[in-house]
Amino acid sequence: MNILWRGQPVSFIPGETVGSALARAGLRDLGPRATGGRHALFCGIGQCQNCLVQIGGRVVEACLTPCADGLAVEPMGGSDAR
Amino acid sequence: MRDDRVIVVGAGPAGMAAALALAKAGQSALVVDQAPEPGGAVHRAPLPGVRKIGLPEHRRRWSALMDAVAAKGAGIAISCGTAFGGVDATGAVLLTGATTRLLHPRGLILATGARERVQPRPGWTLPGVMTAGALQTTLKRLGKAPAGRVLLAGSGPLLLALAAELTALGNKPLAVVEAARPPLLPALGLPPAYLAEAARYRVRLALAGVPVHYGATVRAIAEGLRVTVDTPAGMRVFDADLLGLHDGIRPNDTGLGGPAPIPVIRAGDCREALGARAAMIDGTRAGQAMAARLAGQPKHAEPAALIRQRRAQALLARLFAHDAPTDLPGDTVLCRCEGRTLDDLRALGPDPTARDLRLTGRFGMGPCQGRFCAEWVATFAGTPDLGRARLPVRPLAIADLLAVPTADSGDLA
Repeated sequence: MNILWRGQPVSFIPGETVGSALARAGLRDLGPRATGGRHALFCGIGQCQNCLVQIGGRVVEACLTPCADGLAVEPMGGSDAR
Repeated sequence: MRDDRVIVVGAGPAGMAAALALAKAGQSALVVDQAPEPGGAVHRAPLPGVRKIGLPEHRRRWSALMDAVAAKGAGIAISCGTAFGGVDATGAVLLTGATTRLLHPRGLILATGARERVQPRPGWTLPGVMTAGALQTTLKRLGKAPAGRVLLAGSGPLLLALAAELTALGNKPLAVVEAARPPLLPALGLPPAYLAEAARYRVRLALAGVPVHYGATVRAIAEGLRVTVDTPAGMRVFDADLLGLHDGIRPNDTGLGGPAPIPVIRAGDCREALGARAAMIDGTRAGQAMAARLAGQPKHAEPAALIRQRRAQALLARLFAHDAPTDLPGDTVLCRCEGRTLDDLRALGPDPTARDLRLTGRFGMGPCQGRFCAEWVATFAGTPDLGRARLPVRPLAIADLLAVPTADSGDLA
């Protein structure tokens, strides 16, 4: 089972969060932040708001969002943001 | 919508113990937690099929608690994936997520646990730099150590515990960088259980050859991650994939103040950071106190066990006391959310007010609401705090607010 990150499949373990699946795939840089720096996991429990990603047009914390097969996850800055 | 229950925020040991105490006193409870499963930090649920990591005594107590909670049936409802948005002056409690409601409960117990304190360091906003707790959460959830070279730095017993856990799971850290030099003799004043735990960790690390550098601090973090550490024996450079930072535990009570017309009682680490052993005891106390309050009965006394834990935590704080950083480079980020640096702070001039810091400086105005920066900004600016917190207590999507049933909103008597 896979989620999609920037359109590319990333496998996940059932019950895992988006943040966890991306981290295990070596995807620690989650894209540019509007105020500088990069989005990335920091606190891991939904407090720091640094791991924000977009799913279906909504902003969510990657560390709190469970994976689902086919879930399309994009960086905050959009799929082309580098 | 008026609700006959007490809402408990946090499904960790304190929250669940409070819910059980409420149910035993004949009071219904609704426990909510933004995490996908109960357990809080200490009892972070492992993925299906993964063996639970942690001290056997803790695991047994948690299992017993959850069994007792389940036996109460509908008396205790649990809604995970549910965020607490705050309680307002009318007694309305906003919940969003799996349960999206605006309720008027009989009472509110806050059991939101602890937050980690992390000192700003140059480069601490780079990907791969996390809190030690984040690494520990991952480890508990996956039952595996994260891959790559891990360095742990900061101060406090959690670093040793995490280092030992990583070692036991087959990925020993490069080193532990500990700012303090805990003296041995005074440490003997700790409860035997604490000393036994510490000894196990120290032995495991020694056998695995994991260096623990005392009186050492991280000076800079560069891409890679290349971490420069100042030790009493001189500068060391580590090449790591992950850096776990930790400078202590504080109550996770940011934004939780404010007037409310219903009883609000705090339980566990969010009231006073006394650790896991105290959390269940304090949760029980809080549940009993809430039930008593709702029945118009006098308050309960504080359990003796809490006093013991308080002494132990105070001793730990003294053992791990060390000097705060004084010479941080000006371009070090203080407010992570807004990318505001120590130079930006100094540009506000001498004695900035809380208002100057927030509205002109933007410090604490990002989505973490000052959780990670307020203490440091206040220290460097010489002010006591960044000002009064506002609702909601955590960021919410407008779509979630709109999803609150209209019937709920209409009940504002």
